[in-house]
Amino acid sequence: MTDATPALTESPAAHAWRRPLAWVGRSIRSRLRFLLSLMALSAGTVAESLSPRAWRRSARLEFRRVLRMALGGSLTATVFVATLVGVGMVYQAIYWLRVAGQEGSLGNLLVAILIRELAPILVGIILLGRSGAAMLTELGQLHSERQLHALQAQGIDPFQILVMPRGIAFALASYTLGVVFVLVTMVVGFALASVLDVVQTSFWSFLDALLRATAPADFVVFPVKMLAIGLLIGSTACLTALFAQEGEDIGRLISRGFIRGMLAIMLTSGLLSLAI
Amino acid sequence: MDLFGRGAGALDLQLEAGDLALVDARDLPLASGFADLCCGLQPPAEGEVRFLQRDWSRQPAEMADALRGLIGRVMSNPGWLRFLDATTNVLLQQIHHTRSDLGALREDAARLATHFGLPGLPNGPIAELSPADLMRVGFVRAFVGEPKLVILESPVQGLHQDLVPALLNRLWEVRDRGGAAIWLTRSRMIWDNPLFPATHRLRLDHQGLSSIKAAA
Repeated sequence: MTDATPALTESPAAHAWRRPLAWVGRSIRSRLRFLLSLMALSAGTVAESLSPRAWRRSARLEFRRVLRMALGGSLTATVFVATLVGVGMVYQAIYWLRVAGQEGSLGNLLVAILIRELAPILVGIILLGRSGAAMLTELGQLHSERQLHALQAQGIDPFQILVMPRGIAFALASYTLGVVFVLVTMVVGFALASVLDVVQTSFWSFLDALLRATAPADFVVFPVKMLAIGLLIGSTACLTALFAQEGEDIGRLISRGFIRGMLAIMLTSGLLSLAI
Repeated sequence: MDLFGRGAGALDLQLEAGDLALVDARDLPLASGFADLCCGLQPPAEGEVRFLQRDWSRQPAEMADALRGLIGRVMSNPGWLRFLDATTNVLLQQIHHTRSDLGALREDAARLATHFGLPGLPNGPIAELSPADLMRVGFVRAFVGEPKLVILESPVQGLHQDLVPALLNRLWEVRDRGGAAIWLTRSRMIWDNPLFPATHRLRLDHQGLSSIKAAA
């Protein structure tokens, strides 16, 4: 066996191919810079959070604070929207499927539309609007007030204290709010149908129909969707703040962060739906 | 600490345990850059910067952060995190780098706060503190825990010269524990004071760091 390194010389034809390919790569990368950074940051957040060493007291403190903020800030809005969806969708589905004599399809309909699609997107939008914007406001002055520099001067890695706890806290908040959303929607829709005598079965039979309609993949995809959406909302807000120009207007930053967050929610939800 | 670099401006400084260097640094960005250099945040153009016998440039990021955790610094731009309360802002460095009991840290910080003329350790939002209180809280942050090196970037300005004795008292404590300090100043009153207990007097400008003999 020899240690000889293969020669890196190439023919002029290969070199001629490389330049346009490099140009294509460069232009795609510049356009996808934010997306690539977002993916790297999110993957880094997950990887780092698995190491107990990353969870120093300061990171735990910030995690608890952000989790409280994300849950507390979005819980009322989530319950309110879930109540509206319960009335506007679950009750209507129960009513019209009964009129059509298709009560047996109720579970399939609710799982396919509500649990797989609507809940992750609506909860994501609520979380983004209520807590993501608040977080962007918090982090928007990182550059202008030299807060990043102050952290580094104290030997504190901004990733460990600003990015990782936020990403994980938003992921858990999103999952929790998703579960709350689905429960409230079902309870409100069924309660209204019971009060108006549209349904004669018990709540447990209703839940049983839902469970029977739920495919094994749904038990994986729903949590993954909620966790991924929360993580991406947190990462998007952090990245938007970190990429901000010095002295950039907070209002512009929030609107940019909101659009990016919306894209992240839609893409994640769509891609994971394709997985089923 | 060893600090020397050769380039546009030559710096040559070595501080031993118990030393206090008074540096006349009228250019604020230059003073901040020098402080960053001492903390290993900015590499020298040439030469090496060492802290506790360790060359910053050879330390892995985690080790460098841990070493920076031993440096108390009053920054010209303190960079308070507005989403954290004043207490957490003050104790953040200690909370991050040590496992010291939080209650003991709070007590230590409250003692320092009283020493610097605050009624106690403020626990409300940092944004609600007046500039004078923020300055005092900045001192508390720099001295809380047991820093091995304290860097003060023009800590006392304008009408707050009465805080100099309190700062010097704390510096004596640090020096008695075997630490060292660098006081970067723009104040003529401090620089011209022959009784200022500096072991080194230096001037920092774009030509570098030059040693100045004591006036007295």
